[in-house]
Amino acid sequence: MKYDTIIIGGGLSGLMAGVKLARSGSKVAIISSGQSALHFYSGSFGLLGHAGGKELLHPLEAIGSLPAGHPYSKIGAESIPALADDAKRIFADAGLTFIGDASKNHFRLTPLGLCEPSWLTMDDYATCENPSETGWRKATIINFKGFLDFLPGFLADGLKKHDLPCNYAEITLPAIERLRRNSSEMRAAAIAKVLKGPVLEMLAAEINRAAGDSDVVFMPAVVGIDSEQPVRELRSMVIPKLLCVPVLPMSVCGMRSQIRLRRYFEQLGGTYFLGDNVTRGYMEGPVLKEIETANLSGMSLQADNFILATGSFFSQGLAAEPDRIYEPVLGADVEAPADRSLWCGKSIFDNQPYMQFGVVTDRDFHVMFNGVPAGNVYAVGAILGGSNPIREGSGGGVAILSALQVARNIIAAGRADMSEAQA
Amino acid sequence: MNHCKEHYDIIVIGAGATGAGTARDCAMRGLSVLLVERFDFTAGATGRNHGLLHSGARYAVTDQESASECIKENMILRRIARHCVEETGGLFVTLPEDDLGYQKKFVESCLQAGINAEVIDPAIAIAMEPAVNKDIIGAVKVPDGAIDPFRLTTANVMDARNHGADILTYHEVTDMLMESGRVCGVELREQRTGQKFRVRSSLVINAGGIWGQRICAMAGIKVNMFPAKGALLIFGHRVNNVVINRCRKPADADILVPGDTISLIGTTSSRIPIDQVDRMDVTGEEVDVLLREGIKIAPCLAYTRILRAYAGVRPLIASDDDPSGRSISRGIVCMDHAVRDGIEGMITISGGKLMTYRLMAEWAADMACRKLGLEGRPCRTAEIPLPGSETPEPETGVRKRKSHIIELSTDQKAAQGRHGTMSAEISYNADEDDALVCECEQVSVGEIKYAIKKLHADSLINLRRRTRMGMGTCQGGLCACRAAAILRDETGNPPAALEDLASFVNERWKGMMPVAWGQTLVEAQFMTWLYRGVCGLQPHEEACECETNENADR
Repeated sequence: MKYDTIIIGGGLSGLMAGVKLARSGSKVAIISSGQSALHFYSGSFGLLGHAGGKELLHPLEAIGSLPAGHPYSKIGAESIPALADDAKRIFADAGLTFIGDASKNHFRLTPLGLCEPSWLTMDDYATCENPSETGWRKATIINFKGFLDFLPGFLADGLKKHDLPCNYAEITLPAIERLRRNSSEMRAAAIAKVLKGPVLEMLAAEINRAAGDSDVVFMPAVVGIDSEQPVRELRSMVIPKLLCVPVLPMSVCGMRSQIRLRRYFEQLGGTYFLGDNVTRGYMEGPVLKEIETANLSGMSLQADNFILATGSFFSQGLAAEPDRIYEPVLGADVEAPADRSLWCGKSIFDNQPYMQFGVVTDRDFHVMFNGVPAGNVYAVGAILGGSNPIREGSGGGVAILSALQVARNIIAAGRADMSEAQA
Repeated sequence: MNHCKEHYDIIVIGAGATGAGTARDCAMRGLSVLLVERFDFTAGATGRNHGLLHSGARYAVTDQESASECIKENMILRRIARHCVEETGGLFVTLPEDDLGYQKKFVESCLQAGINAEVIDPAIAIAMEPAVNKDIIGAVKVPDGAIDPFRLTTANVMDARNHGADILTYHEVTDMLMESGRVCGVELREQRTGQKFRVRSSLVINAGGIWGQRICAMAGIKVNMFPAKGALLIFGHRVNNVVINRCRKPADADILVPGDTISLIGTTSSRIPIDQVDRMDVTGEEVDVLLREGIKIAPCLAYTRILRAYAGVRPLIASDDDPSGRSISRGIVCMDHAVRDGIEGMITISGGKLMTYRLMAEWAADMACRKLGLEGRPCRTAEIPLPGSETPEPETGVRKRKSHIIELSTDQKAAQGRHGTMSAEISYNADEDDALVCECEQVSVGEIKYAIKKLHADSLINLRRRTRMGMGTCQGGLCACRAAAILRDETGNPPAALEDLASFVNERWKGMMPVAWGQTLVEAQFMTWLYRGVCGLQPHEEACECETNENADR
């Protein structure tokens, strides 16, 4: 089978590249092994939250001074605002509503009640422009009885630091009680599956009763696993402002994002191979000709361009053995020392060198094999080296913007080819 | 927890197995006892070993005295600490590269020490323990087992408390109170507040392990300890059900011990300077040796995930004041400093091993009674079971709300395994009590609350040692947050709760760092993503000096 572009990896960066290319009329396939880092998503994407040990309010101003190897430097600071706007449009078309703007960070509320700078946050989530002036007067925090993955105590502690008085109320519903019969069923995704239709009406009534005179209600982000619709319904029935706060994984809004982006990609004509793994790639000189996958045994897939969007160690895009770090799918060059004593730092909260390891690319994100850039293989997202997504608060931004940049370049090159042919 | 009297008969320093056992023994003999510990129970060598219920076979050839002490204590612990012991049995196997001639001498020495060692066909050994290397050329069956040092120590502390002892954890001895050349108490510093105060006693028993040298120095007493560091690796699941030893002269990485959900390979042995005993980093070389030798015993270790690495210090001690260390002993050393150094009021109990903690406690308590002129108070610790191990078989907690469940749930069974008869005290009454905090190790909300209320636990690291929460495959990835929320609500100390969470997560990381490749690195990246990324957690203050956070624990 022949595609214009095949994307290996169906997480955030793979889907963004896929959607962007499919929107331009390309024939695109995504090969996804299943779960992605999106399933562990906080509800927000960061562009650049921290740099030089400081919290940033205006990320675009700091992007220019990042090191040359940083993915943002390769994209070019001047291209970022346009790509960021493009990302918002794509999300909206996929049915995902975000608030936020690249020119100025807002703050998201974390599960521990802390405030972290962010670029885009799902609009049902709790955010503020300025943690010391939230504009809220009095809050009620609600949780479901027996749900341990939401941390109302820590949330209240965090809000109290910003002078917001909080009530706490535990609620339950018959549908939730049924889940509770099995002690390992009280997890976010299982709850989200029962919160729909008439159950939402009962939930709204309970929330309204618990809220009293509060002007804002915080609840665990466990509504709307495949679309925003249930959250909208619930919010329309709750009298105070209703805001969601992230819970421990699995992330319901992460699943929602994954599902919406995938559906949108498929609506645009894209092909999504779910639960498949690339087993082999055939290179001819610096060009990747075709790949084979585990499920399509004996049948190879060809494409003009390939995008490697397999993520970092966590997503198996990179792998570590005691004496080497390598890229397991295509065997691309990886920038990482062989000496494992150089991989890690002593405190988990300090800089961890391994976080910045990744495949080697040129400035256009062409992947290098034995020191030579492959003309038709690109890398996007967390598999790229040169940034520390956690410390910088840049993981979402790098995934989204590198994907859109590569897609844009592929589209532009295709147009150039076409006009050449016409000429 | 902070309450204590002005004067005690005995102050025991150090809540490792020996100190806890000594406190229990003294308290059972009717003495008033204060047990002080600078961190948590088992924070030193007790929590940093194999957890092997030695048959004594390992020492039979080189040290008959230790071997025969071990087998006697082995049999006693099976009775009095039933809930801490797994009767797995053990094998001493000869690999093709080892000398099969050693086996004969080994078996003879075992029998001489009273250890039931039986030569078996290697094929039978492989059938007994399929994880063992199939190329073995010899096998001997011995009565080894596994023992959980955390439960053992906690049960001793709890029973000391049941007999009236007071317990102060996170209290460091900063000075000895001396009056006319005799020890008459200690100055303590509460680690979390820095507050200092004095407590007096008729006698001080120094059970400080390797840190006992420092305690002695405070009283102007010189003892020579020889710290020997031993590193171990924990594997992500229980690859063997029978303890496997190499049948050769004791060397690096020749024992593989199953324990709960995991298996442990160890140890290395290296002399370190005494001023390094608080820094127990596991080196790359140590990891390589442990893996290389471990794979020879059980080849599946080559492709089993390594959960973490940690190291402890054996408190080897010269039995007199010989500074050269030639008279070093692995046996028990119980010193009356009045006799040895002319300083009245202090006993040091050291040397020995986890296996002989009870005997060491007995010796120390015997000496204490003699010195206090209290005759006719015999030791009863070899007969009276520890809390959790009383017979008859435990009456188990039954879920009231879930009357349709007749069998115990997995977490109830796990709790029963961990706490023995004490598990009956775990409440399943409240609505959320059966919710699972730690899925890897099946720890419920009820068990966490029980540990906070009854097992002297007020931090996440304490809770891990009491319940195994966070010791499983995800290394606290999710349960730490859940447990932190319970701890926050139970103790009502919000700022400390976040610091505590950061400290717990970082301790887990430190044990993963030396083996951070493969799935372990994946897990570490997930933990970092979740705690630093999604949750925005970071420690605000300098690492709290009040925990042994410097070193990775089990």
